[in-house]
Amino acid sequence: MPAHPSESWDLGLCLLSAQDPKSSLGCADILYLMGWNDMSVSITEQLPHRRMEAWKWTDVRGQTSDKLTGLSAAGLPKVTAPDGVALSMGAGQSGDHVMSKIAQSFAPEAVSLYVPKGVKPAGPVEVTEIGRGHSRIALMVDEGAELLLIEHHRADSGAFVNMDVQIHLAKGAKLTRVIVQDDPDTALRVATACVSQQTGSEFNQFTLGFGGALTRLETQIYAEGEGTHALLNGAYLLDGQRHIDMTSHMRLKQPDSIIRQSVKGVVFDKARGVFQGKFHVERPAQKTDAEMRHDALLMSDRAEVRAKPELEIYADDVECAHGNTVGALDDSALFYMRQRGIPLLKAKSLLIEAFLVGVFDDLADEDLRGSLTDKVRGWLEAKL
Amino acid sequence: MLKINNLSAAVDDGQKTILNGLSLEIPAGEVHAIMGPNGAGKSTLSYVLTGREGYDVTGGSAAFNGDDLLDMDPEDRAASGLFLSFQYPLEIPGVPTLTFLKTALNAQRKARGEDEMRAPEFLKKSKAIAKELKMSPDMLKRPLNVGFSGGEKKRMEIFQMLMLEPSFIIMDETDSGLDVDALRIVADGVNRLRSPDRGMLVITHYQRLLDYIVPDKVHVLAGGKIAASGDADFAKRLEKEGYDAYAA
Ligand SMILES: Nc1ncnc2c1ncn2[C@@H]1O[C@H](COP(=O)(O)OP(=O)(O)O)[C@@H](O)[C@H]1O
Ligand SMILES: [Mg+2]
Repeated sequence: MPAHPSESWDLGLCLLSAQDPKSSLGCADILYLMGWNDMSVSITEQLPHRRMEAWKWTDVRGQTSDKLTGLSAAGLPKVTAPDGVALSMGAGQSGDHVMSKIAQSFAPEAVSLYVPKGVKPAGPVEVTEIGRGHSRIALMVDEGAELLLIEHHRADSGAFVNMDVQIHLAKGAKLTRVIVQDDPDTALRVATACVSQQTGSEFNQFTLGFGGALTRLETQIYAEGEGTHALLNGAYLLDGQRHIDMTSHMRLKQPDSIIRQSVKGVVFDKARGVFQGKFHVERPAQKTDAEMRHDALLMSDRAEVRAKPELEIYADDVECAHGNTVGALDDSALFYMRQRGIPLLKAKSLLIEAFLVGVFDDLADEDLRGSLTDKVRGWLEAKL
Repeated sequence: MLKINNLSAAVDDGQKTILNGLSLEIPAGEVHAIMGPNGAGKSTLSYVLTGREGYDVTGGSAAFNGDDLLDMDPEDRAASGLFLSFQYPLEIPGVPTLTFLKTALNAQRKARGEDEMRAPEFLKKSKAIAKELKMSPDMLKRPLNVGFSGGEKKRMEIFQMLMLEPSFIIMDETDSGLDVDALRIVADGVNRLRSPDRGMLVITHYQRLLDYIVPDKVHVLAGGKIAASGDADFAKRLEKEGYDAYAA
């Protein structure tokens, strides 16, 4: 993981331009990003590969072929913002992540979103049509402001998609980010978010992923201030030869922060799930209270799960825990359900749904929670 | 109604024979009890009859209302009216009790070609039965059996039984974990279901339960078969004298 110099986190400055009334697009804006092509660099050469520790189970370079559309082009995501959120195009924030740099080279302009101090918009910002190519979003939620961000990641068939999201949460800001990734099995996707959190800010993320030819959903959190809260939950459901990688890395620099993470996966057929999670607790980050869980169910002999939970702790007065389980559906529970008359496949899908959707329990928006559950249920009904 | 003939069964991939030529017939309208020492194979019999994986039939037959029971999937046996109150009920994390039960009831009805029970009727019925069994309505909203005490789980088995109204009921050590008050409530529920077209097989280690659910016949399971049979008084004698006389 590359070091992250703090000066590159001066996101506020970059985003201030978004407050300029001339570039603020107002109510229910719809913005189409214009794409432009090619830098005539060999992009594949720049892609991360399996000999890099953080990418050992997700070999982007190895899986990328020239035939993927959007490999060397800017993407055209659609962003809708509610009243109170300023939306503009700008240079955005430059990130240090290998995929962020690639995104910058193809998409010099980022969609910039700004939620001013204390503003709590009535509706969500929604990002859709993240179908192919490289794109960038920069979001600042200013002091005491709140936002719901919903991202629908659905690629075109045979597409390469790389999205970079830079998020800055000022003092006491609150962001809930919901990601639904539902790509065709021919698409390759990397989505990387870097989140910096100032004192007392709250970041809640809920991810539902169905994988693709290769899917990597990565979240990096930099808790710069004290008493930050982060909830990082996710569920993945895979079949065929799909691959998903949910990677997260959280650095805590100040005292009194709380992190809760629970990722759950169910893997059928020859599919593969990857979970990598790291809590990095620096010496001043005393009284950190952090919990990481990853639990997966294998539904076939050839399904695969790779997990790497890590704690790196330099503070002495902290409570940090991690747990990881990989198992199968409970045969006794299945028999019990069948004895009551529930057919085997229905019993399986009830158990799997119950297993997965628990990670969305803390999502406050009931409709949204319901729609995530419906997606899981719909997938299971089609599969079983 | 239930006709078991010369039934043999093994566990451990067929390595260990537990039932060895067991025959038993329970006509509709009768309640039979099976007693026997620990490890005799009483629970094994209940699993073989309900079709649990890992309990392999190695010989004999079992017919339910004339159909070959051993050939059916567990859910089809349930739909045809067979119910097992488990010795150790399972926990079903994340699935609320009423969701579970409504799914079960309507799956059975569908398999039998009957109409689904609608939510209002279902709720009304579940409320009435919860009241009868002195269960808090709160319990019905929680995931099935998760975090329940042993006694609560047993009561929940009876709750499910009264909701599903099966035509043949196997109760495996339903009395264990219940205090006297709970035992009486549960027995009242069971007795309410006694009817000319329903059969029951009550498995118990202790005679106590049979004071409340009085059986028509009592059998001893030992050595993998029915070693002796008698009337309700036979149970009292068995409890006094023990099973040594019937050891394999
Ligand atoms: N799934 C199993 N695998 C291996 N042995 C088993 C299994 N189930 C039961 N047994 C063995 O079979 C015998 C009978 O068990 P069980 O039917 O539970 O007896 P009971 O209910 O009469 O106490 C015991 O020796 C028990 O250890
Ligand atoms: Mg037993």
